[in-house]
Amino acid sequence: MSAGSLPSGSQVKDPGYPTPSENYLTNSKGVLSWIFTLDHKRIGVMYLIGVTVAFGVAGLLALLIRLHLFRPDGMIFQGPEANNWYNQVFTLHGAIMVFLFIIPSVPAALGNFLVPVMLGAKDVAFPRLNLCSFYLWVFGALFFVSALCASGLDTGWTFYTPYSTTTDSSVILATSGAFILGFSSIFTGLNFIVTINTMRPPGMTWFRMPLFLWATYATSIIQVLATPVLGITLLLLIAERTMHIGIFDPEYNGDPVTFQHFFWFYSHPAVYIMILPAFGIISDLISVHSHKRIFGYRFIAYSSIAIALLGFLVWGHHMFTAGMSSLTTIIFSALTFTVSVPSAIKVFNWLATMYKGSISLTTPMCYALSFIFLFTIGGLTGLHLGTLATDMHLHDTYFVVAHFHYVMVGGTLVAFLGGVFHWWPKMFGKMYSEAGGRLSALLVFAGFNLTFLPQFILGSRGMPRRYATYDPEFAFLHQMSTWGSMLLGFGLLVALVVLLRSLFSGKRAPANPWGGATLEWECTSPPPFYNFERAPAVGDPYDFSDLEWDAENERYVKVEPAREIVPETQPEAEPAHADDSK
Amino acid sequence: MFATMNNVPYLLGDEIADFAWFPEQASTFAAENDWLFFTITWICVLFFVPIAGCLFYFCWKYSKPKGEKAESNTAHNTPLELAWSILPSFFLVAMFVIGARSYLNRRTVPEGANEIGLKAQMWNWQLNYGNGVINPELHILVNEPTKLAMRSDDVIHSVFIPAFRAKKDVVPGRYNYMWFEADVASEKVSKEVLEDALKKNGTDPWDYDDWQFTQDGYKFFDLYCTEYCGKDHSNMQTVVVVHETVEDLNAWIEKVSKRIDDENAPGYTKPADWGRKLYNERGCKGCHSLDGTKKTGPSFKESYGNKRPLADDTIVDANEDYIRNSILYPKKQVVAGYQPVMPSYKGQLSDDDIASIIAYLKTVSDYGPKAASKPAEVAPTTEE
Repeated sequence: MSAGSLPSGSQVKDPGYPTPSENYLTNSKGVLSWIFTLDHKRIGVMYLIGVTVAFGVAGLLALLIRLHLFRPDGMIFQGPEANNWYNQVFTLHGAIMVFLFIIPSVPAALGNFLVPVMLGAKDVAFPRLNLCSFYLWVFGALFFVSALCASGLDTGWTFYTPYSTTTDSSVILATSGAFILGFSSIFTGLNFIVTINTMRPPGMTWFRMPLFLWATYATSIIQVLATPVLGITLLLLIAERTMHIGIFDPEYNGDPVTFQHFFWFYSHPAVYIMILPAFGIISDLISVHSHKRIFGYRFIAYSSIAIALLGFLVWGHHMFTAGMSSLTTIIFSALTFTVSVPSAIKVFNWLATMYKGSISLTTPMCYALSFIFLFTIGGLTGLHLGTLATDMHLHDTYFVVAHFHYVMVGGTLVAFLGGVFHWWPKMFGKMYSEAGGRLSALLVFAGFNLTFLPQFILGSRGMPRRYATYDPEFAFLHQMSTWGSMLLGFGLLVALVVLLRSLFSGKRAPANPWGGATLEWECTSPPPFYNFERAPAVGDPYDFSDLEWDAENERYVKVEPAREIVPETQPEAEPAHADDSK
Repeated sequence: MFATMNNVPYLLGDEIADFAWFPEQASTFAAENDWLFFTITWICVLFFVPIAGCLFYFCWKYSKPKGEKAESNTAHNTPLELAWSILPSFFLVAMFVIGARSYLNRRTVPEGANEIGLKAQMWNWQLNYGNGVINPELHILVNEPTKLAMRSDDVIHSVFIPAFRAKKDVVPGRYNYMWFEADVASEKVSKEVLEDALKKNGTDPWDYDDWQFTQDGYKFFDLYCTEYCGKDHSNMQTVVVVHETVEDLNAWIEKVSKRIDDENAPGYTKPADWGRKLYNERGCKGCHSLDGTKKTGPSFKESYGNKRPLADDTIVDANEDYIRNSILYPKKQVVAGYQPVMPSYKGQLSDDDIASIIAYLKTVSDYGPKAASKPAEVAPTTEE
């Protein structure tokens, strides 16, 4: 049997295509049907639009930053207020990217769409809470951005005291915005925890869940446990400003480093809120596009939980030079190294999954490969920063900037793009141009490396972070980085165009274009508004043996041997012993 | 092995200066830091090259047309997985131990280190050499440990000297300490070059980036602020000069603090000149321009003798007393349109210093005696 032809004498299982009245995108019409929808898929799509807009805005700000740094004395912002402008722009860039894009990107946009479908459920456990979390995000986003812009907040997204408390009260408004966004994040997390705990279909044990669900589950635990600390920090800040309780402000015998402890106790686990879902996406992408069972399922699942728990214990590594006691500093360094082990395990497992697979270099696979390459660099350079002696030199330099961009952009953003390309046919029922998609992956990869590789060297040569102007000896590397950022921006634009074009001129997507074995590929593309008529039978999410490529219709189908009734001849109408007398 | 391999980046660095990995090694920490950095980097390479190699090799080797089945479907291999979970941990433990030991060494100040006081404020550095000698440049001795006792009155700053591979935050409300031992002395440029530069520079503020040596003719190492501290964070830089002998260092201290009070002695330091020196060195010039440009604070061009509208809608006469109060209690009477961000100089400037600054402000203000009566610079007296 050659590839692409279906084995003869077998039954093909394929859900076909949805009718317009079933399709969740078209089953009800009008703006109101979207605004008040309780359908997790529509909420997911609205989130997707929201985070894309946030990303676009913050990305343009990033380009402004890079262009400004093209020349040592600054190119874009001029005049006596130049530094102020620069500081406000990098604050906005960081704050929007972190709170409005990276944290909600995968869990809220893709997670909302996928979690119930992967579970074979009709919706999340609390659909109204889900819609509420979306509106909290919208409200929080508007509140947060207007607070930042109106007061020209220039504290950086970390709001360090006492700088953030000396100027005016806008830091309280901004943290309130972050807190509202935090509630959105808590609601989403809560919803997923309950959904995954209670709504798994019969037969889906914990260890038969797709790894994306494991990652989402681990993320949700962090969201629910860590985000309240941000609320506590806010209350303390307000108490400090109004009642001078003396906790953060040295003027009232407070200690500014306390704020850093509070802040990073939330914000470091938040780093794992950003990267864990990306791990989940990559586990699924690598397995599906290698058409091979994921290697070491349990190790990957456990390592997600391990990262979620260890992630709570390493916040102190943001403060190695702040003046904690030597003992505390050394303990945090040791804990920081432990968290690198589970991340390394995942990388090895992904490689082992590709080994002896049957790899299709599709667009999502290109992004997944790019992720492994970039995330490995991001993870390994973390070792230089976790090692205390070298951190004394590298702390708060461009080395750190490059390191976390490799993890957050090379990691989360690239995984998010891979996920969007992977599930795009499912979400909108359209196939995009493969050539265009692969080109965008290549451009993003090249542009990203050109932007951030030079920044490692800038950092080790001593270029401090958050500088609006710099010494001329750093100019060459900064210029390389700026050229790279433009290439990166162009690559992202290509990706957007490829996706948007598919909506208008893309081919109709089959139910299973990639050969995935998880449940979302068993309903039509796009799914009907009710997802599944009845809870589907749950198989192994990584068993690809019965999926065959149907070249004629460009789709993968589940193939079962033709059912026949054995024995072929029907038994006689009358039992043989009936006529004993014969 | 690592020792020789670690030189490779340096060799490349010499070829293309723009790609040098580190600035010059100028302290006892530097060699150790760079050795550890490159060792970790090589360990990373040791892991990264096989990972990336496998990634691309598998893509090429196992890339198949759609519909082909995987050659194997091994679900797991516990010994292999345990091996790659546990073996890298040995590298991690080694990095942690070496890093922590080196860190402890850097945190333990040797006995008998020379102590210099450091005060960071928005956006300048004040190095205190004792006996009231305060200067923005850090001058230390070669081959002797130096300890900085650091404090800040406003926000968090951070001292970073790349050539020494040393960094420590300066946190308000507490003293933080750091120490280092420079092992490379700063070179001195020739007399002709220095004189030429001084002549060309005139009375303008000294531009370290342009000249690449200090106004005393020393080559220097950069000192940056690396904790974001507001608007002019990126300008909060100064220089470190390493002296070969204690005589040389003392001569420099003598030179920058010399002030001849006797009006009849040769080389008498006029109060206005002393005021200009303080203006340049003690952090005034970062926020107050002389040419009318609006920076973080009001320009001195329109200060002394002017009527100033304040933030609370009153108008004040910018006389000697107002200026004195603004230096000592800067948040009390803030000129309209400006933020109350200036740190107090109470206890840092003597009454005599303040009087000198006032004398200097009179010479640069459009509303001062200079404008009213051209000829005589009204003899500024130390009126208190």
